[in-house]
Formats: sequence, structure tokens, C-alpha cells
Amino acid sequence: MLGPTPFRDICLVAGFELREMLRSRRAVFVIALYLLVAALFTYGFVQVLERVNEVAKNPAALVTGSNPSANGPGGRGRNRGPVFAPSPADKPSQGILVTPNSPFSRLIFSGVQDPATKDFLVRQPPIVLFYTLASLFFTPLLILLTTSETIAQEHQSRGARFIVLRTGKLEFALGKLAGQGLLMALVTLLAGGMCLVIASWKLSDFELGPAISSTLIFWPRIVAYGLPFLGLAALCSMNSSAAIAARGFAVFGLGTLFYLHYLAGLATDQSVLTNVLGALDYLTPFSHWADLWNASAAQVWNAMMLLAGLGVLYTGIGLVFYRRRDL
Amino acid sequence: MALSLRGVGKSYGKIQALDGLDLDVPRGSIFGLVGRNGAGKTTTFAIACGFLRADRGSVNVLGAGPFDAARHRGRLSALPQDAALGRDLTLYEQLSYLGRLQGVPRHEIRGEVERILHLVDLSDRAGTRTRTLSHGMLRRLGIGQAFLGQPELVLLDEPTNGLDPNQAHSIRDFIVAQRGTRTIVVSSHNLPELETMCDHVAIMDGGRVVRSGPISQVTGRNEEVHIVLADGPVPLAQTQAALAGDTVEWDASARTLRVSFSSRPGRQAEDVIGAALRPLLEAGARISSVSRGQSLERTYLAMPALPPELPKQGRN
Repeated sequence: MLGPTPFRDICLVAGFELREMLRSRRAVFVIALYLLVAALFTYGFVQVLERVNEVAKNPAALVTGSNPSANGPGGRGRNRGPVFAPSPADKPSQGILVTPNSPFSRLIFSGVQDPATKDFLVRQPPIVLFYTLASLFFTPLLILLTTSETIAQEHQSRGARFIVLRTGKLEFALGKLAGQGLLMALVTLLAGGMCLVIASWKLSDFELGPAISSTLIFWPRIVAYGLPFLGLAALCSMNSSAAIAARGFAVFGLGTLFYLHYLAGLATDQSVLTNVLGALDYLTPFSHWADLWNASAAQVWNAMMLLAGLGVLYTGIGLVFYRRRDL
Repeated sequence: MALSLRGVGKSYGKIQALDGLDLDVPRGSIFGLVGRNGAGKTTTFAIACGFLRADRGSVNVLGAGPFDAARHRGRLSALPQDAALGRDLTLYEQLSYLGRLQGVPRHEIRGEVERILHLVDLSDRAGTRTRTLSHGMLRRLGIGQAFLGQPELVLLDEPTNGLDPNQAHSIRDFIVAQRGTRTIVVSSHNLPELETMCDHVAIMDGGRVVRSGPISQVTGRNEEVHIVLADGPVPLAQTQAALAGDTVEWDASARTLRVSFSSRPGRQAEDVIGAALRPLLEAGARISSVSRGQSLERTYLAMPALPPELPKQGRN
């Protein structure tokens, strides 16, 4: 007999989990649904881009305001009529007009507020920014729907008993979590691929090479953002005896974290409560969301490490209780 | 001892499942665990395997303390009651996964899985998904996984439950063939089956062991002889005279002559049977059967019920 190690066991459990998930009809359905949603949303977004380009090529078609001259390259365009009139220097790129004063730039600027980040983002293909935005919204939901059940399901069927007799609860739970993490990473990457396929199919001037590079820049950020949600799902799954209870527990946990983040955003004074809320907000993934869009690689790296740390924290809390739990 | 529990208690809320359980399972034995539903058999297994934590008492598995995956890896295995394997992978994949976790080296896993599949007569199903198996096949797969690698102690919770007679027979034969090579603890409600397989037995009730020991001792194989007579003469006086010093009782309803004796060197059950049959045959009695002791089933049924103050509920 070999001397099994915890790392080897975690890899074995993760590999088995991944293989089992990819074979199960339910998981395949969830993945297919995710890709279908990605395809439909991308298609809708591409339709919007096409419309924007169309208007850009024929500005007269949309210039209906009372003061068209106010909407030139240097104009703010706010409350002053149409916003899509380009300057002669503007050129369509990646399916949309991307210039410092294009509507897309102004949209990003309004969300980001930081000029350096805005400059970084306007250089990215819009379809990739759309993919990132949609993934940051949907990936936590996907994780909560699938990962939150995975260990609890094994408790419910008592299948976990076959495993924990051969390896520790820690290896079992971490292996399951690693398998789910790999699946999440795979699904988000496939969704990115789906977005690019549809964009290259529908957009005549779409450049695939830069879009792939950009996707590979943002994909790790999406994965990092998913880690705390994986940890939360694992915490709930480890400490539930039934799949449905674990899912309910996870949804409640997500709601609690979001509400905490919301409360922290409301508090503006310098009271103790505000400071406490601010500290607690730091422990929610939502407070690190904006940093993932940052132009600075160092800041993005920090945010990703913090998010990974939150994943470890949530998982660790779950394991503390799980070790003492009857199966 | 392969397994030793001392004063183990476990409750589920207000239900006391184990109440000061003392149990010793000798190494190399095939050990039967008997008891009604709720007696605490499955809880005992779950505590031995580390699935549940005892509220009190001590547990010693294979001389290395309570179960710990790191300490006992590959040494203990079990067929847990009502536990289901995953449904979407093949039998080969399931067993190779469990075997690898058990510690079987990668280059040996194929041979090991084939051995187990042959053992439980599922070789022709190696490539099919678990979801397609019948209840009996799943049961056999569960038994098979418990013998992956070389476990020293195997706990089987109702292993032949749901198997057809042929399958149950082959599983019994396999278990008996393991005698002396490893310790096997079998929980079952099928007492004749346990009697044919086991050399030791413990009878549980109310979360305690109420009787345990070698099966010959528990069933009185070296203390009693039962002779069943067909219609005809019953020479009771002659038999009592021939077995002076032993107790001879006649149960008219069962037409059974029960001889209670003290076993000692030079006077075993076989000697008592010879001494009892001689006067019976000479008097023309018609003998239907002769047995040593009473069956495990009769022993179990003849046991006095627990006093009412003892708890009788628990998770089985």
C-alpha cells in the first residue's frame, strides 16, 4: 500500500467529483442552461452593438435633439439631445465606437469614476466587458445552485460514509470543493468562449485575437470572485443534512452578506456602528467587486487574493463545525 | 481485541440509542450482532466507524483508539446501512475510486477491482452505470467495496438483506472463507444465517449488550442436548437413569427431551448424546432429530425481556 497523503486524496476526490458532475444529467443541464443564457444575453447585447454602429454610421438618423452641435466629441451629451454623433477621428472598433467621448466610454466612466480605470476599460472589447459583468452577476448564483448541494447530498444519501472511512472529512470536503471550483472555472471559460463565438458570428468588424486576450485577462478575475461564494456554499453544504436545506442556507447566507454590504454603503457618518459595518463589509465579496475592474495589476492581484482569502475563511468556518459534526 | 467499546453512550435528543454499551470483538473472529430494531446495532457500527461521536465511554478500534481516518486508513471498512453510492459512474469507476482512497496503488487497482467484481458476481457489469443496478446488485456492490484492499476489520450491516437465496448463500460462503484472515462483524436479523457464519455473537437490547460470547456458549452447545421424538414410547425413566447426574426434562408439546449437562474433559456433548440414545433405542423410541444446544433463534426468543425502566428506543 502506498502512504496516501491528504493532497493526493483531495485530488482524487476532486477528480471524481468533476467526472461525476460532468456525467450527471442535472449538472449537464445546469451547464447547458448557463451557456444558453450566456448565448442569449450575448446575442441581445450584440444586437444593441449593431444598432449603435448603424446609428454611428448614419448619425442623422438619430440626431433629433434641439441642439445637435452640443453633441460633438467634446460635448457632455447629458440632457442635451442625442449622444451618438461621432467625431471624424472616431472609428468603429470591436463592434462599437470606442473613443474617449463615445457613449460607451461615458457609460463606463459613470460606473467606474476613476480615469485610469476608464482608459483601461475602453481599450477592452465591449463584448468582453459585457461577458465579465454578466459573469460576475451569474456565477455566484450558479455556484449557490450547484455547490451548495454537493456535500449535503452525500450526507442525505449517506454516500459520504463510503468516503470518510477511507479519508478524512477535511480531504473529502476540500476535494468536493476543488472539484466544484474546477467546474465553475470551466463553465465560466466556456461561457466566455460562447460570447466570443456569437460576437464573431454577428459583428462584421469583430477582431477575435484581441477579444481572446482580453477574455483571458478578465476570466481569472471572475474565477477569483467566485471563490468566496464557493466557500459560502461549502460552509452551508458541509453543515446540512439535506440538499434543499443547504441551498436554503446558502441563499440566506448570500442575502445576509449582500444586506451587510448594502447597510455599509448607507452609513456615511463616523460612528462606531459605521466603522463596524465597514469592517464587516470588508469580509463580503461585494466590497471587492469594483477592484476587479481596476487598471492596476497590483490592485487587481490584491483584490483577487482578498477574495481567495474570503473563500478560505468561509470554508474554514464551515470545516470547524464540520469536524465536530455527526454524519 | 479488534474492536472494544466500554460504557459507550449515545443519544439522539431524548432517545437513548446506546446506554453504557460494553462490547469486545476478538481478532480474527466472525462476530454476529443481534437485536431488535432500535437495539443500537447500527449506532454501534456508526460509532466504531467514526460516523457518529459517542456522548460518553471509550472506543478502541484495532488497538489504535477511536476511529481516525489517518490512523486507520485501509485497516477498517464497512457496509453502512442504507448508504448509496453515486449513480452516474460505472461500477469500475466507483470501485477504483474507493480502492485508490483505500490505499490500493494505481498499478494494482485494475486487478483489485476485477477481483472484487468477480467476488460479488458483477464482472459482466463493470462498465455499466450504478443507476442501472437492481437492489440486490447494489447490495453486492456495497459488500464488495468493503473488501477492497486488505482491511483488518470489516463491519457489515445486514449484508444479505434484499439478496436472493443464491446470492445470499454465496455471500455467506465468502464471509465464512474469511475466517482467521480478518475480523468481520455482521449485523443481521437473520439468526439462522448468523448461526452458520459466526463463531461469536452479542445480543443487544435497549442500547446494551445483554449477552455475548462464543456462539457455542450462548446457544448452550456444550451444555444441552435436544432429542426430538416422533409418536411412540417415551422412556423417560430409563433415560434419566442412564444420565444420572444430568438433568433430563421432557417437553410434551414439542416432544423434545432436553438433557442439561456440565461439559468436562472426557465428557462432551457427543458422549451425552450416545448415553441418551442407547436407552431410547432399546425402549423402541422413534427419534426425529438430535441437536446440540438450542438454535440462536430459540436462545434469542427465550431471553427475558428487558426491565421496563430500561430505554428501548433508538436509531437502529
